[in-house]
Amino acid sequence: MSVHETAMLEAFDAAVGELGLKVSAGLPDDWTRPLLDHLRGRGDVAHVDVAREAEAVAIVAGAFLTGAPSAAVMGATGLLTCLGELATLHVRHHIPALLLVSERGTPDDGRIYQEVQGRRLKPALDALDIPWLRVDDIDGLRALPHAQRWGRVQKRPLVVFLSRALLRDPEAPGALLAR
Amino acid sequence: MKTREALSRLTPLADDSVVVCSLGMAANEWWAVTEDDEAFYLHAAMGFASSLALGVALGAPDQRVLAISGDGSLSMNLGTLLTEARNAPASFVHVVIANGVYQTVGATPMAGRADTDHAAIAAGAGIPWARRVDSLDEVEEAAAELAGSQAGPHLLVLGVEAEDIPIVPPPQPYEGAEMKYRFGRAMERRLGRQVFGDEGY
Repeated sequence: MSVHETAMLEAFDAAVGELGLKVSAGLPDDWTRPLLDHLRGRGDVAHVDVAREAEAVAIVAGAFLTGAPSAAVMGATGLLTCLGELATLHVRHHIPALLLVSERGTPDDGRIYQEVQGRRLKPALDALDIPWLRVDDIDGLRALPHAQRWGRVQKRPLVVFLSRALLRDPEAPGALLAR
Repeated sequence: MKTREALSRLTPLADDSVVVCSLGMAANEWWAVTEDDEAFYLHAAMGFASSLALGVALGAPDQRVLAISGDGSLSMNLGTLLTEARNAPASFVHVVIANGVYQTVGATPMAGRADTDHAAIAAGAGIPWARRVDSLDEVEEAAAELAGSQAGPHLLVLGVEAEDIPIVPPPQPYEGAEMKYRFGRAMERRLGRQVFGDEGY
C-alpha cells in the first residue's frame, strides 16, 4: 500500500467514525475497492457486499428509516445503473442517502470505457435534481460529516465524487487537468 | 389459493414484524388485508423492497423484518437472494407471491411463468430456510413456524393463482414523503430512538 493510500484510508477511517456510520453497502470499481475493504473490516459497521449497486442504495434508504447512519460506496458506472431507483425511491419519498462514488472519466482517467460516465453522469444527476460534490484531496475527507448533514437537509441523495487524485495518485500526469 | 387468502394467513406473523411491500400486487393486497399504515409500500423501484427491508433489518437488528414481493419484483432483483443469504439477520423473512404473471398490469405472463422454482433458487443462493407452500393450511403452518424462527434468513414462496382482477392504482391513501414519515415515525415508536432528528427531517 502506498504512503498516499495509507494516509487516505486513515482520513477515511476518521470520517467514518465521525459520521457514526452503522450500515454501509457497496460494490467496488478498482478505485473504490480500498474503501470497501476498509468498511468490511470495521467491527462497528454492518457492511453489505451487494450483487448490484441499486441494492446498496435501497439498503442505505432502509437503514436511514431506522435512524442508523449509512453510506453506499460504488464506482461511477455503478451509480449510472441505479438512477431509476434513486429517482423512484429516494427522490420520490424524500429519503436522503450518502453515496461515495469514484469520479471516473475525468482527464486523468485513461480508461476508454469510463469516458461516457465522465461526460454524462453529472448532467444526469442534475436532471434528476440530485446534488453532488467532489472531494479531491485527503483533507477534503474531513468534510464528509458535513456533506451527510447537508444531504439530510436536502432530503434526497447526495453524491460525493471522489477523485482519482484522492483515491489513487495525486501526482499522476493529468491530475491538474481534472481540478 | 388466492393471494388475499394466503396473505390473511400471514397476519399473525406480521403483528410483531416490520413490513415492507414491493409495488403492485404485494402492496395492494397487503393493504387490502391489513390496512397497516405502519408498513412501507413501494410504488416503484421494482424489485428493491427486499433490499430496503434488508437495510431496515441491519439498522434495527433486534426487529423481525418481513419483506413481501411479487415474483415479478423478485425477478427484477434476483441478486437480492445472494445478498440476503449472507447478510440478513436470522429472523428475516422474505415472502414471495408467486403467480407467474404481472398481475397489476393485467396478468401479463412473465419470464419463467409458473415453472420457476423460487425456493430452489433461494436454497441455491444459500438461504437456509426456503420453502414453497400451495395451500392455506401450509401457509398457516409456515407462519407459525416462522414466528419464532431464528433459522433464517427465510424465503417463503406462496404459490397462488393468477386472478382476473381490475387494474387499479395503489389503494394506500398516502405516498411520497408521507410514506417516509409514517414509516419512520412508526420506527421511532418501535425502537425508542429518533429517525428524523430534532427538526423533523
